[in-house]
Amino acid sequence: MDLHFTPEQERFRADLIGWLEAHLERTWTQETKDPRHDADSLVEVRRRWQRKLNDAGYLGMQWPTEWGGRGASEVEGAILMEELSRADAPQIPNFLGVSLLGPALIHHGTEEQRQRFLPKMLSGEEIWCQGFSEPGSGSDLASLRTRAEPDGDDYRISGQKVWTTFGPWADWIFVLARTDPADRYGGITFFLMPIDQDGVEMRPIRQITGESEFGEVFFDGGLAKREHVVGQIGEGWRIAMTVLGYERGSSTLAYPAENERQLHGLVSALREKGTFESPDVREKLGRLALENEVMRSNGLRTLAEMAAGNAPGPESSIEKIFWSEYAQRLTDAAFELLGPEAQLQTTAAHARPEVDWAYQYLWSRAGTIYSGSSEIQRNIIAKRVLQMPTR
Amino acid sequence: MQFELDEDRALLKSSTRELLERESSLAEARSVMEESPEGYEKALYTQLGELGYGSLLLSEQEGGMGFRAFAAVLSEMGRVAFPGPFLDAALAVHALAACPAPQATQWRERTAGGEALVVLARREAGDELQAHFAGGRVTGRKRFVPFGAHADALLVETREGLALVPRPGAGWNAIALPTIDHAQRFAEIRFDDSLDAGAILVADATRSQALLETSDSVAALGAAAFLLGLMERSLELTVQHTLEREAFGAPIASFQALQHRCADSLLQTESTRSAVFRAAWAADEAPETAPLLAAVAKGWAGPAARYVCGQAIQLHGGVGFTWEYDPHIYLKRAKTFEQFYGSTRCQLETVLSLSGF
Repeated sequence: MDLHFTPEQERFRADLIGWLEAHLERTWTQETKDPRHDADSLVEVRRRWQRKLNDAGYLGMQWPTEWGGRGASEVEGAILMEELSRADAPQIPNFLGVSLLGPALIHHGTEEQRQRFLPKMLSGEEIWCQGFSEPGSGSDLASLRTRAEPDGDDYRISGQKVWTTFGPWADWIFVLARTDPADRYGGITFFLMPIDQDGVEMRPIRQITGESEFGEVFFDGGLAKREHVVGQIGEGWRIAMTVLGYERGSSTLAYPAENERQLHGLVSALREKGTFESPDVREKLGRLALENEVMRSNGLRTLAEMAAGNAPGPESSIEKIFWSEYAQRLTDAAFELLGPEAQLQTTAAHARPEVDWAYQYLWSRAGTIYSGSSEIQRNIIAKRVLQMPTR
Repeated sequence: MQFELDEDRALLKSSTRELLERESSLAEARSVMEESPEGYEKALYTQLGELGYGSLLLSEQEGGMGFRAFAAVLSEMGRVAFPGPFLDAALAVHALAACPAPQATQWRERTAGGEALVVLARREAGDELQAHFAGGRVTGRKRFVPFGAHADALLVETREGLALVPRPGAGWNAIALPTIDHAQRFAEIRFDDSLDAGAILVADATRSQALLETSDSVAALGAAAFLLGLMERSLELTVQHTLEREAFGAPIASFQALQHRCADSLLQTESTRSAVFRAAWAADEAPETAPLLAAVAKGWAGPAARYVCGQAIQLHGGVGFTWEYDPHIYLKRAKTFEQFYGSTRCQLETVLSLSGF
């Protein structure tokens, strides 16, 4: 058992920290607190940041070098995400493309698809969103009903997708649609479609945070070309499941780093208020600091398992439950300990400068729902790890 | 990076499991813990010492295998709710190893080898240390001395430093302090003039403080590892029970309410494993972070075990509340390891101060 990073990995981290110091001019918190910004200009901030990262070779790290990556391991990928969180850098706008679709095309796509899509994915010229969930198919994704009807060599897509993160700014969407209604898993195919076309309509959905970061997409005979099918017809489910697997591991150290930043913000606010020394406050903060370190321990374990070549099993459900529920505990505590100032909207007078607590508090409600709700994660643990039977 | 134990330690872990399941199955250990005055089987302790288990924390030349091995062994002991002073003796051996006096060496060797038992005596009625050492004698009272009445010598924290006190000819002036954990034997030891004047100071006050600080970290790690084993086995027993027990025409394991409770228990248990083995690794390989990570492991493991072992009773239903079934043994042992070896509250304070807040 060994949790050391190699000297190369440590060097990668040191270079990255130096690069961030030189290139990250304003933190994401600073950007969002700038009253001159609106939702669109913040997306441009993110797009510019993506370009900088890409120019420096920090995007698609685990992709093969021929496709603009570094052929790096999961460990470097996790270090990158950890340091980006620690530095409070903006999130890239094309994270769904870079982290999910890119690897899917590298593994399952055609040479033409890779050449056509990968460079613009990395540069941020084309933003991707994911068309998986439907109004009737969230956690039970395989029940999806969006149809793909053959039209000559191509397909016409009809149906509805929802919770389409970054949809309002996306140029392309990767869609799971049904090519065979009789075959639950084998009847699903993976399509790539431009959004700006007849028969595809993207409508933003307003979230409890007030933003419209996600949307819903209505397909009414939108065109999906045969050359834009990923893998074979009927292979969509298998590809989608491997795609979702790519997500794992990379953020495993980023959550604790982000939490640590927020904890430091909370502590400095409490010191200013003069309440940090009170025993009940210290106990709460101690508990949060401790739990965050346990989360990091889980993350290092996952990373070590991946580095040893063991695929992350259903135990990753434990990590999902942990970070998402922790974010609620942390922001709950911040509201309780900071008082009404915590509720102030980010650009309001007297709002805390270090962390946008109001936003974080609301946003933390999403984590226990998306990517498999906490309830689904508990089902997975009970059934696949503990082998408890289905009724 | 690699999370799994290396070959030697993995072998130690599996052979320890075999040994303990053979020699200390809960069915047999229960009568020892409930009925014998010492609360544990002395012959088995001697055997463990002879096999080298008492030397795990010593240097490699003296048979040590480091903290990962130590954690692996203690988690195996937790699985069988092992009774007796294994961790207490290990802590005494570890502390004695930092004391150069020849008597300290002798007692360390005898305790590591399983021939004798030395334990630390630290806790008093109040927060302020009162015990004194002077002229070969200790005065004062120590509470919750683990297996104190039967110990062959005590390592007593006094204002003057750490005093090694061999058992007087007339025995200790000890008052049993039975707790809810019948696998535990605590005693209050009253030191007074009637005791033989055979005590020596093995570490002065400054040295003693540094030594006991390290000892606190080792205790936290060891207790967290034991708690891990308690949780692990408790959850296994519980899942097994829910698979066998039928209600409304189906195994109760098929009910989602119970499944989610077991899922939460697994989350608590596996997170403990991550924290314990990271702390053990740090103690071996990255000592600057070891005190923080030991406090994290113990501060997490205590409440986690309370949850998991408590749920074990709940999900066993009525039989979970009976003396006959095992879940209560696990909960009771968990309370010992949660409340001693550094309470949760004190671990939280350690975490807060060591993580730069």
